[in-house]
Amino acid sequence: MSYNKQTIRFQLLASVAVIAVGALLASSSSVHAAADANNIPAWNPKSSEKLIKLPATYLKKSLDHDFQESTLGLAIQKTEEKTGLKSQTLADLRDAIEEAEGELKLELRHQFLGEKRNFLELISEKNRYRKKHLRTKHRLFERMLKRMAEKNRGMTPVRQELVNRQEGARQRFKSSLAKVDMKLFQVSVVPESRYTVKYAENLAAIEKLASRIQSHRMNTSVQVDGQPLSKEDYIRQLLADAQAELAVLEQEETILGYMAKLVAFDALALSEQALDAEMADSDRPSASSPAKAVDYFLTN
Amino acid sequence: MKTKPIITAFVFSAVVSFSALAEAGTLENLERERALTINTMLNPEIAIKDRQAKIASAKVRLIDLERMVLRDKKLTGRNTPTVRQAFENYDLTFLVHGATEKNISIVDAWLNQLGMTTQSVLSASLRRR
Repeated sequence: MSYNKQTIRFQLLASVAVIAVGALLASSSSVHAAADANNIPAWNPKSSEKLIKLPATYLKKSLDHDFQESTLGLAIQKTEEKTGLKSQTLADLRDAIEEAEGELKLELRHQFLGEKRNFLELISEKNRYRKKHLRTKHRLFERMLKRMAEKNRGMTPVRQELVNRQEGARQRFKSSLAKVDMKLFQVSVVPESRYTVKYAENLAAIEKLASRIQSHRMNTSVQVDGQPLSKEDYIRQLLADAQAELAVLEQEETILGYMAKLVAFDALALSEQALDAEMADSDRPSASSPAKAVDYFLTN
Repeated sequence: MKTKPIITAFVFSAVVSFSALAEAGTLENLERERALTINTMLNPEIAIKDRQAKIASAKVRLIDLERMVLRDKKLTGRNTPTVRQAFENYDLTFLVHGATEKNISIVDAWLNQLGMTTQSVLSASLRRR
């Protein structure tokens, strides 16, 4: 065995050991949890107070756009690009391994393992970012629902009674308005005030605008499975979606864990193969027993 | 002369009940105008002709002010004693609209709400306590 071959094999063994350990660590969540706090880019969505005021149809688009512009959104995009490229590299290496033989094949397998580990690290990094995104979204929706509940709260029986009375007064005023107007302004000598005239003008303008708003496409309610949803229901739906994505992400982490384990086992298998080859190629004499040396003693 | 103490008591109670209106805005203006109108209605020192002219002029202002209060969204659910009291009795607060609906004068509408009729006021006698 030449010196070069031996050196390459030692290097190979050392790096295979590194890959095995690295692959196992790549999927370890505890390592990433520590990194989470310091290194992950951030996404700080608009305040929930402002978001509540947006139409339900626009809310999700606004949030998605805001996220894509954030450092966290850009980081995910960048990681996705890198993952795509790494996938291509893995496919190329796999094809090359199938065609290669001998030392080259061993070397390519080693490279393949290294790239698989890098791929797992990239996916793991992307998942950390996605998890942060989903958790931020989750917290945001929860805050929005809390604010909405706060606005609806405080309707004590006394206040409810007042609101009912006010509604009743307005209904009575509305239903008697024409009659009152006729009696006051047309029959009697009381002239229409400036307020009444201006109010009627403005009301006509408001009604036109309200009609346009009513028919505006951005004012249509969000529908899920053909059922129109209120804003609160829609936010609850978004919250459930974020929760579901988080659950799927956790499942994906399990897959990553298994992939990392496989890479580690592959690395150990490669290491064992390299050791076997080294032993077979060794210059050291094989262990001899007295029985095998008998022939030397039978002749003079 | 006989009706004077009763009228004075009514005016006093009307002014007192509408005094705590520091923050109501439209409602405050309505209550002020209404108190002044009631004062004019019940003031025996004003000549009949002057009173009628003053009430007619106040009525125009009251119509607008009543409508402003009814259309004021800021008052919706504002749980203050003033707002609660104002919406407790439509006919008393929205005097002109209530009276016009029922086809009676605002004086009669106001007295009716207090459980008085023109007849009972006229037949009241002055006594010493």
